[in-house]
Amino acid sequence: MEASASQGTFDVVVLGGGVNGAGVARDCAMRGLSVLLLEKQDLASGASGASSGMIHGGIRYMTSDRRVTELASRDAGYIRRIAPHLTFRIPFLLPFATRREEATLLDRLTWYATEVYVGTYDLFQPLKGGKPSARLTAEELYAVEPSLRPGLHGAVTLDEWGIDGQRLCLLNALSAEAHGAEVRTWTEATGVLREPGKVVGVRWRDSLNGEHGEARAGVVVNATGGWSPRWGKSIGVQVPMRPGKGVHLSLDRRHGEYGIICTAVDGRQMFLMPHETESIIGTTDDDYYGDPDDLDATAEEVEYLVEGVASLVPSVRDSRITRAWWGVRTTIFEYGVEEDDLSRDHRILDHAAEGSAGLLSFVGGKLASYRAQSEEVTDRAVAMLGRAVLPCRTHEEPLPGGEEVPEPSELAGRHGIAEAIAARLVYRHGSLAREVLRIADDDPRMKLVVCRDEGIIAAEVAWIARNEKVRRLQDLRRRCRLAVAGCGGLDCARPAAQIVARELGWDADQLRAELADLLEVGWRERRPVLDGWQLAEEELLRAVHRGLGDL
Amino acid sequence: MSKVRSYAWLAWRAAVSHPLRGLRQRGTGRERFLQNYAAEGLAPTTEEDRADTEAASACISCGLCESGCALRGAIPSIRDMGVHGAFRLYSKSAEMLARSGGALASCASCTGCEPLCPTGVPIARLVRAFAARSGGSDAARRDPAGPGR
Amino acid sequence: MAPSSRIECDVLVIGGGMAGATAALAAREAGARVILARKAPGSTGLYGGAISVAQDPASMPDTPFAARSGVVESARRIAATRPGHPYRVLRDRLDRLWNALEFATGQLSSVLAPPSGRNRWLLTPFGRAHAAAACARTMAPGDLAEVRGTLVVCGFAGHLGWDPGLVASGAERVRALGAPEVRAVLLDLFRWEEGALARPFDLARMLEAPGAAEEAGRMLRRVLPRGAAAAVFPPVLGLDPESCVPERIAAEAGVPVAEMLSDLPSVPGLRLHRAIEARLAAAGVEVLQGEVRAASGPDVPAAVGGREVAARSWVLASGRFVGGGIERRGTLVESVLGLPVLASEGQFADPSVRFAGRPPASITLRDSRSPQPLLAAGLRVDGELHPLDAEGRTIHERVFAAGAVVGGHDPATDGTGMGVAIFTGWIAGRAAAGRAP
Repeated sequence: MEASASQGTFDVVVLGGGVNGAGVARDCAMRGLSVLLLEKQDLASGASGASSGMIHGGIRYMTSDRRVTELASRDAGYIRRIAPHLTFRIPFLLPFATRREEATLLDRLTWYATEVYVGTYDLFQPLKGGKPSARLTAEELYAVEPSLRPGLHGAVTLDEWGIDGQRLCLLNALSAEAHGAEVRTWTEATGVLREPGKVVGVRWRDSLNGEHGEARAGVVVNATGGWSPRWGKSIGVQVPMRPGKGVHLSLDRRHGEYGIICTAVDGRQMFLMPHETESIIGTTDDDYYGDPDDLDATAEEVEYLVEGVASLVPSVRDSRITRAWWGVRTTIFEYGVEEDDLSRDHRILDHAAEGSAGLLSFVGGKLASYRAQSEEVTDRAVAMLGRAVLPCRTHEEPLPGGEEVPEPSELAGRHGIAEAIAARLVYRHGSLAREVLRIADDDPRMKLVVCRDEGIIAAEVAWIARNEKVRRLQDLRRRCRLAVAGCGGLDCARPAAQIVARELGWDADQLRAELADLLEVGWRERRPVLDGWQLAEEELLRAVHRGLGDL
Repeated sequence: MSKVRSYAWLAWRAAVSHPLRGLRQRGTGRERFLQNYAAEGLAPTTEEDRADTEAASACISCGLCESGCALRGAIPSIRDMGVHGAFRLYSKSAEMLARSGGALASCASCTGCEPLCPTGVPIARLVRAFAARSGGSDAARRDPAGPGR
Repeated sequence: MAPSSRIECDVLVIGGGMAGATAALAAREAGARVILARKAPGSTGLYGGAISVAQDPASMPDTPFAARSGVVESARRIAATRPGHPYRVLRDRLDRLWNALEFATGQLSSVLAPPSGRNRWLLTPFGRAHAAAACARTMAPGDLAEVRGTLVVCGFAGHLGWDPGLVASGAERVRALGAPEVRAVLLDLFRWEEGALARPFDLARMLEAPGAAEEAGRMLRRVLPRGAAAAVFPPVLGLDPESCVPERIAAEAGVPVAEMLSDLPSVPGLRLHRAIEARLAAAGVEVLQGEVRAASGPDVPAAVGGREVAARSWVLASGRFVGGGIERRGTLVESVLGLPVLASEGQFADPSVRFAGRPPASITLRDSRSPQPLLAAGLRVDGELHPLDAEGRTIHERVFAAGAVVGGHDPATDGTGMGVAIFTGWIAGRAAAGRAP
């Protein structure tokens, strides 16, 4: 890659390729500003890639300010509109449990209050295409979800949208590019350019090819998430934050079609919920002051999560848990408050008072309100630049592939692929699934099934490598969940690596290095939960990749 | 102030609006719940279904079963996925099962696969069960005991 | 009329993998009446074609092939340097390792080439050369240490499953050690849609069809460079050894033809599994399909496959996690007799360290390339291959353990998996039959 426009002047430089950074880049670019987005690893490598993956309507804000709930639900509706292929419905059951033998009056009042609260949330569901809640008696609850432990007193149901957070980040970044932004992954901002009292740009370095340069900008947006305090310190500004580590577990398949809200041993609310082709258990929230680049799930965290779900769904202890994954939330700093009670609100910090005018930091927030948050940041940036721009349309314009959702059976018949695979293709790419299949039409070899867990064919791997900002093989974990499921890449990693190597021009040494890196990342996730059949899988994986492949 | 207003509003809903709404609703809670989600295929998982999917979790993706599948060479949808696609993509969710089409229903229950599985996945039984749940048109006509028994 | 449900025999072997088969055949050869009980083919169906026994721990990455120690000497060095490894436990008998290897490869000579004393160096689909003391017959002509001339690495133009350039790089990497020059070529095979998407077993069957191997051989001859001494193909050269696919290709092409090692699904693995079946039947070992669980040992007949087996001695060759001999469901257990899981490698080789109940993160290491204690976990055994309890006492005089159920080696990192299976299987089988070591 030759020295490019990233050595130049931009209106806005955005640091961090999570959902907020990508969302800001998109909004700025769509309004007509020139944008450079720098991400030091791959898009969605931080909290955005490790979130629970839900676009919810802010039910918890009804107690403080229901306008926030209204806005959140409306925004969830927008995200549904701009990425209809990427969202999927998750019905939730909120069972009524008591630790005592009989339900007390207080229990019943609490349950009624919960029923009213969730029923009130129904007022906002139409804004996001959600369904109304229902109250289930104990008998009805067990008919609907037989795996729950006995002794429950009924439930109330509610409805939220799930989403693949990693693809959401990618689509925002691609949309930004389509509107003229420049997006560089695996490129770190190594410092800022200064003039007295101002930040006027950044110095950057590409960690894969060593290229480096400077980019001047009217506004620099720090959306580095969990890395903000460290990065801020390195350039002399304060970004007060209470980084919150969150761990999730994945089951190898969907436990059922409904999410179940449980209470953990310390009273925190948790869940077991279906998400794409697996079920996930989440989540923890603990202050984390370590290195966000160097995290692991601990045995305590794993047991905490399993115990919490097992309290309502005892059979989860026999389920096959494939991996643990984690990220660091960018929670707003407040002293003297428990992690769970901290606000999930967001804040934009202007560092002008610290002698760094032109630098904005984004703290807090949640995945579900990324679009509204990004709009706010973009409004601020526009005000700082003092320019006339186009109006914000991020709520209207579809993300790439969101224009229409093809019918998988039609694609399957027309292109000669399995319908289930067509369905996964449509989920990931929406209308662009047709473009992916064009590759297979031209070369029938590209219909080779690469991944039997996620339904990935060779044509999709090639498409992703060509069009979705892939620079390392591990990026495919975030683009299409390659080697993420319990199989750990047993039969998909090598063929996928061969295809990507062809597309990106890797020689054999680089191919092997990338394959080894992909497998190492997977090992880190599988290691804390090795048990049962997953451990047998690991034995086989190591025999093939370590024993035979020496990777 | 806003917090007080919110709680007052919720109290109103608890005392008045919610009970009134309850009076207007038709059908049991369960009926309304299932109706909400039936069209999207989000249905309850019976205990038998769950036992089947737990048994499928023993698949470690080794592919040995493929060598024993008598239909493998003839039917593209089995051939391309490998018969253990049945325990991987197809059985991950109700939606995938519904889209498995003829692949599972075309199993002839020859059970050439089952003795080869190193972790003891009850392949023949699961493929039949998944085929029946996927609504494959042949499944209803199929004799559960299989040919030649 | 159902046959009598109780059988008496001298030796009950539990487990159908390489260790179990070797034990059963060794006991049979010693004159015992043998029954083999298995619930599944075990991990042999998953092997890639290499019988890895020992690599010289003292050699450097740049030590030429010819200068590296032979197999038995390498095993001795491993015994000397690795506490807890089964070779160490059996160090007084390592001179018999060779006999064990010759025995096993002889019994399975329909699919296994005889060992040569020295490691063979075989190409893998991952672009690396793997050392193996013995290997599948179809792989022996591809030994990098023996090919004199150019080695041609073939892929299929119509199938994306193997990348000959990647495979060939494995030989380039060890050129300085004595590997031949390599050339990667694509043969215009499997261009039609059916072949392009086929799985390895299907490709193998397609090549068995009349004329298919000959055509492949003709295509190969057209692209052979001058000085070509051998050709290596993806491991799909027929399913049945009697169809002679590699030989037929070689006859047309005019050079010896070999397969590369296989990942999964493995056609060579299936061939080995079938050869084991055939050999057990020919040798008169009765095979019962069924699981043995929660048993007490030879003093009580074992219920398996609807029968009751009363055996004088037992050989426990039930495997590790894939085989199901060792399970971890919250804690590590041995699944047939409930014996304590006490042996592993590294810091856990010390018998006083109890690890069976520890969480996975404490018995694995962050670096996946390191040997992993959890994956090396198994039974602790004495020099006679009797499992030991926590106090180091023999659990039963007539129970022996063989193969991956024996702890102390992580096969993925130390390349001794098959060697341990064959060596312990042979010793245990003979001992169970009453034959002196």
